[in-house]
Amino acid sequence: MSAATALIRSEAKLLARNPGVMLWTAILPVAAAIVLAAIPAVRHPSDALGGLSFFAIYQPILVLFAITMLAVQALPDVLTRYREMGVLKRLRTTPVSPALLLFAQLALTLSVSVGCMLVMVIVPALVGASWPQNVVGFGIGYLLTAWALLGLGMVIASLFRNAKVAAGFGTVLFFVLQFAAGLWLQRPLMPDWMRRISDLTPSGAGTQALTDAASGHWPQLLHLVVLAVWGAVMSVVAVRKFSWE
Amino acid sequence: MSMIDVRTLRKNYGDRTVVDGISFDVAEGEIFGILGPNGAGKTTTVECIGGLRRPDGGSILVAGMDPAREGTAFREALGIQLQESRLPDKQTVAEALELYSSFYSHPRDWRELAERLGLTAQLRSYFGKLSGGQKQRLSVALALIGNPRVAILDELTTGLDPAARREVWGLLEDLRGTGVTLLLVSHFMEEAERLCDRVVVIDRGRIIAADTPEGLAAGVVADQRMSFVPSATVDPAFLQALPDVHTVSDSGDRTVVTGTDNVASAVIIALHERGIAATKLRVDQPSLDDAFVALTRDDSHGDRAANNQTESRTAEGVRA
Repeated sequence: MSAATALIRSEAKLLARNPGVMLWTAILPVAAAIVLAAIPAVRHPSDALGGLSFFAIYQPILVLFAITMLAVQALPDVLTRYREMGVLKRLRTTPVSPALLLFAQLALTLSVSVGCMLVMVIVPALVGASWPQNVVGFGIGYLLTAWALLGLGMVIASLFRNAKVAAGFGTVLFFVLQFAAGLWLQRPLMPDWMRRISDLTPSGAGTQALTDAASGHWPQLLHLVVLAVWGAVMSVVAVRKFSWE
Repeated sequence: MSMIDVRTLRKNYGDRTVVDGISFDVAEGEIFGILGPNGAGKTTTVECIGGLRRPDGGSILVAGMDPAREGTAFREALGIQLQESRLPDKQTVAEALELYSSFYSHPRDWRELAERLGLTAQLRSYFGKLSGGQKQRLSVALALIGNPRVAILDELTTGLDPAARREVWGLLEDLRGTGVTLLLVSHFMEEAERLCDRVVVIDRGRIIAADTPEGLAAGVVADQRMSFVPSATVDPAFLQALPDVHTVSDSGDRTVVTGTDNVASAVIIALHERGIAATKLRVDQPSLDDAFVALTRDDSHGDRAANNQTESRTAEGVRA
């Protein structure tokens, strides 16, 4: 077995034994998406929401909810703890680079969030909500969102040495990002200036890209560019700033 | 052939010089100790040797390779057990051994290694549930799993209870003669005395002594110390007057006398002439502990003469 496979398998096993964080992260948005989809009234378009149904507005927000939590809370928590425990430093003493462990964690986090997203799309569709109309656009929007948010999580893990501080910062950032995504004030209801700011955040741009794709359009170029810039900048910062000790 | 060759190694953190011109070499198969008080620069030195830090000066060769240009071949040749390095709590011993053996091209058989380290019964236990001694043995196992030619073990037994400590020492004694070169970092003299072929003592970034453990203990001019319970009252002034005696003091009902190498026989004969017996007699040889305290204390008092003496001995010892 190659070192990479062995490491991914071992991390997956550890995750399965410590399912707390991931489980709680996933349960709330997944359950909310399914419950919402099961209520017929929620599926009717409303003029107040710019012609979209309450479900159409909330499904992308809940998808963002899950991946944001995994990327800016769960991921930095694991990585900063590995650094504190000296796991990364120990890997440096072996022929394998600790970068492989980061890769394994990124791959796992992405897999779990894709899993959550699929459940949030498929189960509601089976109970009567609509499928995303533009599947390719939805996929592209989702992957760019994942890149931006996972990059953000890696930057948190790079900037904070202390796992508890990183977790605290991740929590605050989670609420800011969820506000921008429209969890409390949906984007169609935001004043113009606020929506313009939201457009420039990874969660705001991500929500809008998914909303557009779900209703059959292509995501707007603005939102894709915003997500790609976040992803690229965060990746560069994380690669430069991440330290093994 | 020397397996580790360190020449005038220097390392600064900011303007603070942590390692200040350290040189030594270690032969193949040797167990070599780096001793010194906390903060002396021991860990920084071995982290430079392990390629985890870049030296600011000097040169290092490990099995003929420069750690600063570390490559896979270097990582295969060297195993490091780091100070205070943990594993995930929910990883089992077998999983950790199997995982780390997958990193190397010619790993040891991890089951055999576990058996040798007495970990067979713990193979299915979580790391978080292991005792301190078991964790350290696993840590040693991970340093040896790649079949390295050189293994660095940093503060191996710190924080272990005496039984666990002896357990780990026994394991290292077993490794002697298998051809693995061991570099041991410790601030624990008993450990060095028992395991090391040669040691260097580092204080504030410099080598202040280099010798065999016995040579080091003998080389320090430390007083012989004896204590006993006299069968009748003894006037301290009488003992103090003996030519070999330096100090006389009381410790409970025991009389403690220090002096030259001859102090024990001199005191016993003198007491015998007065018809007094020295019961419960104890005579302490100067140990590596005493040598260590004497060396590092001399240094911190900035005693020039003592420094020069030890440094000239260092030069002899290192290149001997």
